[in-house]
Amino acid sequence: MTAHSQRAAQQTGGHPDKQADKQPGGPLARQLVDHMGAITRERIQAVALENAARNLAAIRNGNSLRELRKQTLGHGDKAIVLAAGPSLKRQQVAKQLKAAAYRGAIIATESSMLYCLRHDIVPDLVITVDPHAKRIVRWFGDTALTQADLDADDYFTRQDMDRSFADELRANEEIIALLDRYGKRMRIAVSSSAAPEVVQRATETGMDVYWWNPMYDDPDCDDSITRQLFETNRLPCVNAGGNVGTAAWMMAHAVLGKQQVAVTGMDFGYYAETPYLNTQYYYEAVALVGEERLDEIFTHIFNPHMQQWFYTDPAYLWYRECFLQLVADAQCTTYNCTEGGILFGEHIEFAPLQKFLDRE
Amino acid sequence: MSTLMKGNFTPAQAVESAPQQADSLEQRFEKEALKKLGGSIAFVAKKKVLWGDEVDNQDATE
Repeated sequence: MTAHSQRAAQQTGGHPDKQADKQPGGPLARQLVDHMGAITRERIQAVALENAARNLAAIRNGNSLRELRKQTLGHGDKAIVLAAGPSLKRQQVAKQLKAAAYRGAIIATESSMLYCLRHDIVPDLVITVDPHAKRIVRWFGDTALTQADLDADDYFTRQDMDRSFADELRANEEIIALLDRYGKRMRIAVSSSAAPEVVQRATETGMDVYWWNPMYDDPDCDDSITRQLFETNRLPCVNAGGNVGTAAWMMAHAVLGKQQVAVTGMDFGYYAETPYLNTQYYYEAVALVGEERLDEIFTHIFNPHMQQWFYTDPAYLWYRECFLQLVADAQCTTYNCTEGGILFGEHIEFAPLQKFLDRE
Repeated sequence: MSTLMKGNFTPAQAVESAPQQADSLEQRFEKEALKKLGGSIAFVAKKKVLWGDEVDNQDATE
């Protein structure tokens, strides 16, 4: 491989040697993954708890997640989680669900709502957990969005998640209209950590809100923050596993009791040809190590089921490791029907979505 | 305050305190970058759901 092609491969995340079976990624990537729990706590815990305090009045007037346990969502014991990874569109998940006339439960992350509604799929349940005030409300349509907001944050234009969000103003208007139309037909499990702006959008569109707390630590430990939060608002506490996709999977089996749970769009990584610029923490990665050393941040992983290389950043790699821990104790069979990405391993049946849909 | 803290002896050798090192620009970038990394929410090992009601306490915090 020439220096030029190697450099090109680096800039797109492509693995320099497709035949290699090793999984590179510098010690820095490993270090960051090992500290990701602490880094996450540092970043979100204070604002999440502040949001929980600001949401207290709404929580006391609303439904608890406990109420959701009494409801039947979808037919049978199947649930499909739709997360917003790049495979959601590539694998045409909506088209497959419609063609199969799937009648089980559909659980969507808030980030995949636009995809669902555009395809006339109204999820049985939507999940939101991230406390970010400005970004998360965008998945609901931000009625206060300004050009200054867009100029200040290019997260959505860069992301390899839902590319339709790249045309930001248009997408914002579209999701506002879709939620105004379909909101009344949807339930949403809103974490107490959600920004009040998100809560307001969910409420004003008529979504049926069910509240829960994300776990911040072991509630059985002395001085547990989770326990203190529970004592304050009395909401059930759910281990969200670091991200909304895992929280959705957790809701499917641990709350709704579904026995067969498929996840789609749960890549936890990027296709090899994705430019580093289109990854979620590109600017932070450049700030940490500089443009020339980005390979120390990203980890390349060969997916043996897909016979294909993918790469991932420390946050997604942490999500993968959290998920693999949780799935080992889950009371359900978990199918990864993403058909891409890095989420595979023990206790996960990696299968095409069609195979899951064909199952009795 | 400076009067109160004044020593009551003279050291044999002059003591020079090390000047406080301000973070370099690079270090400040790194700190800011780390603040923005991380997941969306916490992960707690070996836990699922704490329902907090009597009926499900047996599987409350598995």
